[in-house]
Amino acid sequence: MTHKNDHAGVVLGADRLSKAYGPVQANRDISLALGAGEIHAIVGENGAGKSTLMRMLQGMERPDSGSVILDGAPVSLSGPAEAMARGIGMVHQEFMLAPDLTLLQNLILGSEPMTAGPLRRIDWAAAEADGKRLAAKIGVEVDWHVPAGSAPVHIQQFTEIIRLLRRGARILILDEPTAVLAPPQVEELFALLRLLRADGASMLFISHKIPEVTALADRVTVIRRGEVVFAAAIADTSGEEIAGHIVGTEAPPPPVPLAARAGRTGPVLALDRLCTGKHQHVRALRDISLTLHAGEIVGLAGVAGNGQSELAEVLAGLRTAETGRIALNGADLTLADTAARRAAGLGYISADRRYEGLCLPATIALNTMAGSQRRPPVARGPFLRPAALLQGARARLDHLKVRYGRLGDPVSSLSGGNQQKLVFAREIATDPAVLVVSQPTRGVDLNGIATIHRLLGDYRAAGGAVLLMSEELDEIMALSDRILVMADGAIVGELPRGASMQEIGRMMVMGADHG
Amino acid sequence: MLEQILAASIVLTTPILLAAMGGLVNRQSGIVNIGLEAKILAGALVAVIVSSATGSWLLASLAALAVGAVIGWLFALTITRGNANMIVAGLGLNVLVAGAIGFILSWQYGTSGTLRLPDVALLPHVLPAAVAEIPVLGRMLAALDPLTVLAWASVAALPFVLADTRFGLRLRATGNAPQVARALGLDARRIQEATTAIAGGFSGLAGAHLALTSIGLFNEGLSGGRGFIALAAFYFGRDRPWPTAMVCLMFGFLDATQIRLQTAGLPPKLIGMIPYAMVLAALILASVRNKKRKAA
Repeated sequence: MTHKNDHAGVVLGADRLSKAYGPVQANRDISLALGAGEIHAIVGENGAGKSTLMRMLQGMERPDSGSVILDGAPVSLSGPAEAMARGIGMVHQEFMLAPDLTLLQNLILGSEPMTAGPLRRIDWAAAEADGKRLAAKIGVEVDWHVPAGSAPVHIQQFTEIIRLLRRGARILILDEPTAVLAPPQVEELFALLRLLRADGASMLFISHKIPEVTALADRVTVIRRGEVVFAAAIADTSGEEIAGHIVGTEAPPPPVPLAARAGRTGPVLALDRLCTGKHQHVRALRDISLTLHAGEIVGLAGVAGNGQSELAEVLAGLRTAETGRIALNGADLTLADTAARRAAGLGYISADRRYEGLCLPATIALNTMAGSQRRPPVARGPFLRPAALLQGARARLDHLKVRYGRLGDPVSSLSGGNQQKLVFAREIATDPAVLVVSQPTRGVDLNGIATIHRLLGDYRAAGGAVLLMSEELDEIMALSDRILVMADGAIVGELPRGASMQEIGRMMVMGADHG
Repeated sequence: MLEQILAASIVLTTPILLAAMGGLVNRQSGIVNIGLEAKILAGALVAVIVSSATGSWLLASLAALAVGAVIGWLFALTITRGNANMIVAGLGLNVLVAGAIGFILSWQYGTSGTLRLPDVALLPHVLPAAVAEIPVLGRMLAALDPLTVLAWASVAALPFVLADTRFGLRLRATGNAPQVARALGLDARRIQEATTAIAGGFSGLAGAHLALTSIGLFNEGLSGGRGFIALAAFYFGRDRPWPTAMVCLMFGFLDATQIRLQTAGLPPKLIGMIPYAMVLAALILASVRNKKRKAA
């Protein structure tokens, strides 16, 4: 057992925490020490194991081995309620505010100040004084009487943070708090967090945005594939070093050998100066121009939240561009609806498989054939032909060797990997000229990842063009013929296949710095 | 004539109003209770039995309240603990209670449809008979009974309870965003169970009022869809006590004039449709309005 003194001065920490979900080792021997009045950044790619670690620190998950350290001693927390009672508050990515209640009502919910006397009621005056005092301390103007749902995002976040303080939190866990904020609001949040630090609060700041980490944190711990790969004081390291550790220094997995192209060649998809409208003074996309050729995979690399997902949505027809032009095989699709885009030869693999890629409660057969229901052989006039539908679904699934129970089972009964293969089977069945692919292996196990990579390679070899967005840099490097780097909604550079991770990582960070 | 209609309106409003106030609290906490009808019916039966046995309208009302609350609480458990769909469970409750009552009537009392018991104590009038002499409002005031007074007192008290008490704030938070309530350490399920018991208790009182106002007997058709009319009232009143009460009053007034119109020779079946047609119109109107609100 570890001697108690090893944890002296640790406000919140992890002592060799491990946690496995089935065969997946989400966390392995993670140790971490958050000191009093310190902001400690936890960085790593999606799926590196950050959220598992946070869940254990809050008591939502029990570690397989190791322990959570609170105030210098190992503890066993029963869950968020106990964690809160002991001063650990979590700021979630999705705010925990009731949208129809006012900010003030949300602020006091769960620990309402009451008036004295026989008819005890909520002391709204005291509540508002409380809110105003906390807001004034931080220098933020808040209209406490608007419904939370219609308050600006940063005010909602602010309310959530001071609610935790009001309830006695002295340790805050912030889960990617800047993901929803516009740059000026990020500055405000950082000012607030620095103020709290000066007051003695300790914070774990989860992020994958390196400039933010170097600007705000005192210490940084990098997690990669469930393990701590780097830990240092910010003063002793640099953004580039952190970036290097996030993506890893070992050689990337052997790239999928790019087969000779057999099918079509020549440009198929051309984007000309695409811009989205301003939202809170920020454009998600700025002057995106690119040309995609038949038989190539173009990877879009970038720190999450720099416009990749917006670009995917604009291409799929789920979001409209304010200016610019989208042309597929010469046909202008800028204003076309999703059905017209599909008919013109565009396939879309959404990052949000559960809600956009699939209808989870619907059957495997329906999910596989969705989009083909208006044409023969599935349709005969206004009627569906169930036999043809099942036959078509079986053919598509067998073609990609998707494993399923029965075609009538809900698609939610499939594993993540098989769900994604089903989506691929559906999207490539109509032989589209272009596939827009976003986060294709998110939530997919290792075998599934290999299959999906092979499918993308086969599609390319047959003359398909792929625009690939992924937060897994490994994946982009392994699959892409060339790599475009996005930062702040713009394409900031292009690198050939074989560029090093460090090179790409530097471009991702530098681009963000210039914004 | 006007005096009589006013008096009849206020009395006929009471059961709808009681059920609607309970249902409103329930819905604000996130449960759409379409089983109000069942609890009204059960409350009416229990009120008649207890009133006959004890000769006390007060004990009868309390018993109706208790039975409604217990049924409501059990109903809530199927939703909060058993994950039943609240609409299906509510429909099931209505069928189940109606069936159980039919069974009890034939098994215990050897009768079907109607239960007449001796010495049923009716609800007393609150004010002395002399108030009937006051012009216009007199007959209405004279008709006031304790449950009617309670119903309107609850309308007056509910805005305060919902806005300014801990329970009110927490139940609204639960209805608005249950995951938020849970994240803040509130027991969302227990809150919903409590409000469903409240809705049941109020509906039980509604039943007691129906049974003990003038007739003093129980009939299987006694509730006459009032649970659903109450549902329409708080939907249309957007779960706010006073607007909902005004809708209830309108239904009560329709009910009262309907009796008048029938005596005036219009086909009774046609007149009988009016409240239900109103409910339909009210719900359509409410949903159109909500759509506009969302679009704006």
